[in-house]
Amino acid sequence: MEEWDIPQMKREVESLQYQLAINREKSSITVTELVKWIEGCVCEDPFLNPELMRANPWVEKGKCVIL
Amino acid sequence: MAAEKAEMDALKKECDGLRAQIEAARKAVNDGSMSAASSGVASVGRVQLKLRKTLKGHLAKIYAMHWSADSRQMVSASQDGKLLIWDCFTGNKLIAVPLKSAWVMSVAFAPSGNLVASGGLDNICTVYNIKAASPKTLRELDAHTGYLSCCRFLSDTEILTASGDTTCCLWDLETGKQKVIFTNHIGDCMSLALSPDTNTFISGACDSLAKLWDLREGACKQTFSGHTSDINAISFFPNGNAIITGSDDCQCKMYDLRADQEVICYQDTSLNAGVTSLALSSSGRLIFAGYDDFNCHIWDSLKGEKVGVLSGHDNRVSCTGVPADGMGVCTGSWDSFLKLWN
Repeated sequence: MEEWDIPQMKREVESLQYQLAINREKSSITVTELVKWIEGCVCEDPFLNPELMRANPWVEKGKCVIL
Repeated sequence: MAAEKAEMDALKKECDGLRAQIEAARKAVNDGSMSAASSGVASVGRVQLKLRKTLKGHLAKIYAMHWSADSRQMVSASQDGKLLIWDCFTGNKLIAVPLKSAWVMSVAFAPSGNLVASGGLDNICTVYNIKAASPKTLRELDAHTGYLSCCRFLSDTEILTASGDTTCCLWDLETGKQKVIFTNHIGDCMSLALSPDTNTFISGACDSLAKLWDLREGACKQTFSGHTSDINAISFFPNGNAIITGSDDCQCKMYDLRADQEVICYQDTSLNAGVTSLALSSSGRLIFAGYDDFNCHIWDSLKGEKVGVLSGHDNRVSCTGVPADGMGVCTGSWDSFLKLWN
């Protein structure tokens, strides 16, 4: 930033003004909702739901039969 | 000269003032914490994955890999001057793409599976049609004035690139021309990720900042600070409301986009190696982070705890990826091997 000229600095001011203007939501709500969303998806996450990993595409065929 | 200096000083002061206002606005909404929100969440326990396949074929350091949308094929890039496309169900190599420049740093698979792209110290993003009888160069996107660190297709007609020249760029593949140039970083851009709804993307750079951009307008919408060194890896949470970054400062961080701030930091005193790459499990609950210590460590994204480790590489883990179906994770290393774990 030391080598910036005036037009670049003006653009930085504009950018910061734009970034300041966004709507920020309370983290008590956003973080809670994020946690809820992730928890809701855990049952569909093959790493966390062993049922889903039964038909494992990376294991050599011939060991298990999928009925 | 004096008038110019005065104007510069005034503008700098204005910038400082605006940054202080942004910090104040963030503090004003910071009424919750991840540790509070996740206190009632059940632990995931120890995550122990098995090494299912080791893919051998590259003759030098692997720098990048990317899954195809079909969760079966994957492309890897090595400084042996080749891209290799693998069938990960069989472990077979399907296609080899020889590169004009061996100094590759990034590779991407188009969602259609028809195209792959790569680039590196040549400053060029080259797009290949891999459905032709033999891989054919479709486009050479040549406008960056610094190395190509990352590239991601939006479709067969648009691609996003990140460069050591501190900019990111959206290209039109039909014309080969730049559509939008994203300038705001003051350090080399190292990594980028597209939002699930493809309206925005995030970039991580050597200025230790992560930025969220409007893809069509070109404006930087949000800037996230906190890291104290280069951000090498960045990813969206599957719901698009949070991002994860990995840095040379040995930490990963989660930033909440709606509250516009960092909500949790993933660090461990025993981990003294930089983060090179990261990928999330399909729910976002697990973070697979590749480190310079030759391992890929697994973090519980909500509790901030290390829950597992993937050990087996004999050199730095340079790239990590989870396929769209979430059925496992791939790690690529400077030891020239790719490993598949689940």
